Amino acid sequence: MIKKRIIFSLLYQDGFFYLSRNFKLQKVGDVNWLINNFGFGETCNYIDELICLHVKKKPTNKDKENVFKDIAILRKKIFVPITLGGGVRTLMDVNNFFLNGADKILLNTSIYDKKLMQEISEIYGEQAISIMIDYMRSENNDINDIYINCGTEYKTNLKSFFDSYYENIPCGEIILNSIEDDGTGNGLDLKVIEKIPKSLNNKSLLLMGGAGKAEHIVDGLSFKNISGIVTANLFNFLGTGLEVSRKKSLDNKINLVNFDTEIKI
Amino acid sequence: MNLKKKIGIIDYGAGNLASIYNALNFLEFNVKIISNPDEIKDYSHLILPGVGSFGKLANNLRSKNWPEKIELYIKNGNFIFGICIGMQLLFEKSEEDKNANGLSLIKGEFQKFDKKFNLPIPHMGFNEVSYTDSPIWKGIKNNSPFYFVHSYRIENTRDESLKSKTIYGEKFISFIEKGNIFGSQFHPEKSHNCGLKLLKNFTELKN
Repeated sequence: MIKKRIIFSLLYQDGFFYLSRNFKLQKVGDVNWLINNFGFGETCNYIDELICLHVKKKPTNKDKENVFKDIAILRKKIFVPITLGGGVRTLMDVNNFFLNGADKILLNTSIYDKKLMQEISEIYGEQAISIMIDYMRSENNDINDIYINCGTEYKTNLKSFFDSYYENIPCGEIILNSIEDDGTGNGLDLKVIEKIPKSLNNKSLLLMGGAGKAEHIVDGLSFKNISGIVTANLFNFLGTGLEVSRKKSLDNKINLVNFDTEIKI
Repeated sequence: MNLKKKIGIIDYGAGNLASIYNALNFLEFNVKIISNPDEIKDYSHLILPGVGSFGKLANNLRSKNWPEKIELYIKNGNFIFGICIGMQLLFEKSEEDKNANGLSLIKGEFQKFDKKFNLPIPHMGFNEVSYTDSPIWKGIKNNSPFYFVHSYRIENTRDESLKSKTIYGEKFISFIEKGNIFGSQFHPEKSHNCGLKLLKNFTELKN
């Protein structure tokens, strides 16, 4: 009944989009490059949603304005739901993202700020909140450590997160982002799935990090409790990558919506 | 009359006007955002957008005398398209705010989704629309996906109209057409090419 999703994520700072590998950034091109060279408007016909993350550490107000300028350019070409986030610390940051076209807000470091999370939830509703958990496998492979501040600061581990924090964090969906698999294209971390509580009270669980080809996306979506896969891999998934991933998933009877891309407008 | 082809978006305090503006602009229409009800006589096609709450937006409409102007506009054979709360406002009432009155162009009242289906509320994401065919659906396959975000829905109406339905635990009206009045519970401006096509078809309707 509830459809699964393939979501594309863009990483942005200082006027350019970036590729990330294990959270190290590599510049690829600006907004016009994205639209023209990669036919991004076309590509977006194969995704359910778009995420755009401002990855700059300690952004100034000028930096934030620049993000919105480029998002405004994207929004003239792309007609899909958009989740925005990155560096959200205050309610004003949140309001600005919504004023500039966010359908949902993505939070990571600030999810432990109870007051802020309550305020966002009261104003926008928890369905408009998407939380991202950046994690790494520790030496003891059974435990996954959770990091905040762009993966630089240890916060807690995955088990404690679901035991102690999760219940008090209003959100509509949870994205588990594997730092070690980020940008590798070697496949998603499917082992993490068994470490997640069976019931997340009607919230969606999504995986991110490591998807490098269509089969990886199919593998992830095949799990009953996985609602979506997020990929930020510009080189693997622009061109026909997302189209093929979508088709393979549908061929494998995964419950995705089938967009009519042949439609003439 | 219908050569004017100026598309107006009603600005009455609903959020996210830019998305629908961008979509119509992308389709290369001459689109304007209108905040003065007296201006609507210059338009043949109006969009009543809607991100917000029923009560607040219903009151916003009334405080600026939009209802009278919209009624006259429709009597003159012009077209209106309500989106999300904009669709709900074409009806009489919503459980979301029982004291507020919609435009009452179509009979019926919205209720919150039934909890017994144990599905997340709001209904959020792409879902399929099974349509009752008419020119506004031209070139769109039946059961195409559209993007929804809403907690209130209407199951049926006594009004004679063309209804399209979507299933989310229960069946509800996701699109309605009554003469020159149209409403979608989903957001065509967030629904890829199918949404753009629907908007384009709307703007091409002639009286």
